[in-house]
Amino acid sequence: MKLSTTREALSAQLQAVTRVASTHTAVLALSGVQLHAAAGTVELRATDLEVGLRVPLEATPERDGDVVLPARLLLDVVRSLPSDAVTLELRAAEQDVEITSGGAVFHIRTLRAEDFPPLPEAPGDSTVSVPARAFVDTVQTVARAASRDETRPVLTGILVSASGRELQMVATDSYRLSVKRTELEEALEGSFEANVPARALQELARLAQGGEDRLTVGVGANQIVFQVGGAVLSSRLIDGQFPNYRQLVPESFDHELKLAGDEFTEVVRRISLLAQKNAPLRLAFVEGEVTVSAQTPDVGEARETVPVPYSGEPLEIGFNPDFLRDGLESLGGGDVVLKLINPLRPGLIEGADGSGFLYLIMPIRLNV
Amino acid sequence: MEGRRVIAHLDLDAFYASVELLRDPSLRGQPVIVSGSGPRAVVTTCTYEARAFGVHSAMPASQARRLCPQAVVIRPDFPAYREASRGVWEIVRAHVETVEQAGLDEGYLDLSDLVAPKAAMRRLVGEIRARTGLSASVGIGPNKLVAKIASDCEKPAGLVALSREMACERFAGASPRLLPGIGPKTAERLEGMGIRTIADLRARPEAQLREAFGERHGHDLARRARFEHDGEVAPVRETKSQSSETTFDVDVADRAEQVRVLDRLAADLCERLARRELRGRTVGIKVRLDDWTTVTRARTLDHATNELDSVRAIARELLHAYDPPRPVRLLGVRVAAFEGGAPAQDGAPQLRLSV
Repeated sequence: MKLSTTREALSAQLQAVTRVASTHTAVLALSGVQLHAAAGTVELRATDLEVGLRVPLEATPERDGDVVLPARLLLDVVRSLPSDAVTLELRAAEQDVEITSGGAVFHIRTLRAEDFPPLPEAPGDSTVSVPARAFVDTVQTVARAASRDETRPVLTGILVSASGRELQMVATDSYRLSVKRTELEEALEGSFEANVPARALQELARLAQGGEDRLTVGVGANQIVFQVGGAVLSSRLIDGQFPNYRQLVPESFDHELKLAGDEFTEVVRRISLLAQKNAPLRLAFVEGEVTVSAQTPDVGEARETVPVPYSGEPLEIGFNPDFLRDGLESLGGGDVVLKLINPLRPGLIEGADGSGFLYLIMPIRLNV
Repeated sequence: MEGRRVIAHLDLDAFYASVELLRDPSLRGQPVIVSGSGPRAVVTTCTYEARAFGVHSAMPASQARRLCPQAVVIRPDFPAYREASRGVWEIVRAHVETVEQAGLDEGYLDLSDLVAPKAAMRRLVGEIRARTGLSASVGIGPNKLVAKIASDCEKPAGLVALSREMACERFAGASPRLLPGIGPKTAERLEGMGIRTIADLRARPEAQLREAFGERHGHDLARRARFEHDGEVAPVRETKSQSSETTFDVDVADRAEQVRVLDRLAADLCERLARRELRGRTVGIKVRLDDWTTVTRARTLDHATNELDSVRAIARELLHAYDPPRPVRLLGVRVAAFEGGAPAQDGAPQLRLSV
């Protein structure tokens, strides 16, 4: 294998695949990036066996072949190269790759190419093309509610369903539930539903920043393949039944308050600064106003009262400040409707404009 | 009282050793001992071939090797045992609604609603064997006590059903130590009173036992001797306490060294408690001296804790107060009396959606 390329092109693409390469693995090759030169094109590939990514590299291949190099080290080296022109060449006898740029020469030992698994091909016929912007926005709205706790794998995914003119994603870590329904401008040709690791979708969102118009989705029995621009991202699907989120949302609420989203979010952000070490953020509602307060022992306390259209018996409810803020920020401004029942039942945040966004959040029981 | 109670105790035969045999069939027919390798390691379990040489679980590994030098000794692999155990209890739960798992390899089943409990257990044991390759023994009785003892009667692969009266008769001549809850200390004191068998114990007026052992323990001994017990089959075992203990390779007389180990155990324990979001109000220590005298000391606080600073401070105080008079063989730290209810975050429990 031999190729020449530019430092900028190589480091940009390496950065993308390095995020996918495994960071802790018994199989060393999985911490590597594979450079694949064939038929006049060059591709960079990485996988941790759950998520796999292939991105094209703008380069001039002079000799075909495959090599696997340590991803992290290669990225650091490429970023530091003195000149924009870079050549990489496999030296088979030495089992290393020579990287030259300006006057700098690096020899980096290759990893065992046989240990590097083949990545899924780009999706074939049974694919659905979806608008990239809408897809990515929807991912970013719900992704924060996905669980990072590997003991319940089913909750580490985002349930994605697409059909007709509707794209819907759901995520929950059991403390909150985030649902976003996005209406598409045109109906999709085809439909799918899959529980996709949130990690893979967040990676896809980064890849789609390039401004591609559409992305292609192919769903198999246990894996999903996305194609955006020249990049192909594949991921294992998560086994098991995603919770039936509809039955988690109470049918009716006792209080329904319309708030100015940005203003309320600012109050929550401010007061949360004093809700440290798992201390709850307290919302105390009385006729016509709410007092948001927080207190951390040995650190301090904060409070702020704002007018709200509340009426009825006083109600005080506690929330994890991060969870509440995530919900408000996901809504992204505009008026917010906050719905409550009592201090031990879930609260609901919705957009007032029929934004198709719903965020259910469980309270923290207050010791009062 | 509602209808008759029928309870089964299911006990997997030589469980850890059987898992090892499944993994390595060439060990079949040989004496196999599962134990750690330190100088103070004890036998975790052994195959029936090893038992024939007098080896039994909890025996020092060194003694076991003397009794049966040809035995194959295997280090325990708990992840593998947990995995195998999960498979078995899944099968059990598919057939029986109320199951109280009491360990990886044993548990109680409430069969009160079954028409033919013994036949159902025979089928269950058959299915466990067919699907996991593991053999189990089952005891059936009117309560957990009789069930537990019955399961041990004809191991391995035993299936014994006893009424309370049959149990009284069958074990009349057995040592009181057969009864769970009667350990070497109690047995010794009973012997001092001239009680050598379960029948002796049953014949003794309860008042005498109460006088010797206190109201509750005395009453309990009398009931056990009659094989009476009314514990429910409780599907979930509540965590009552958590502890961390270690046996030294060489007895330790140096107080500074004892404190160092105590600190390490406390740190270990607090980390475990924090992970499970448990806080307890009672902090205790356990000290075993080189002559096997075992002493526990505990203090109850007015608030629950899992903070290392307070657990460590109390454990140290308890150790200094007891002032071990002889070299120490084992040290332990324990936290009990957990806060009730949902897991807590600094006393403010985060509620969850039922997903």
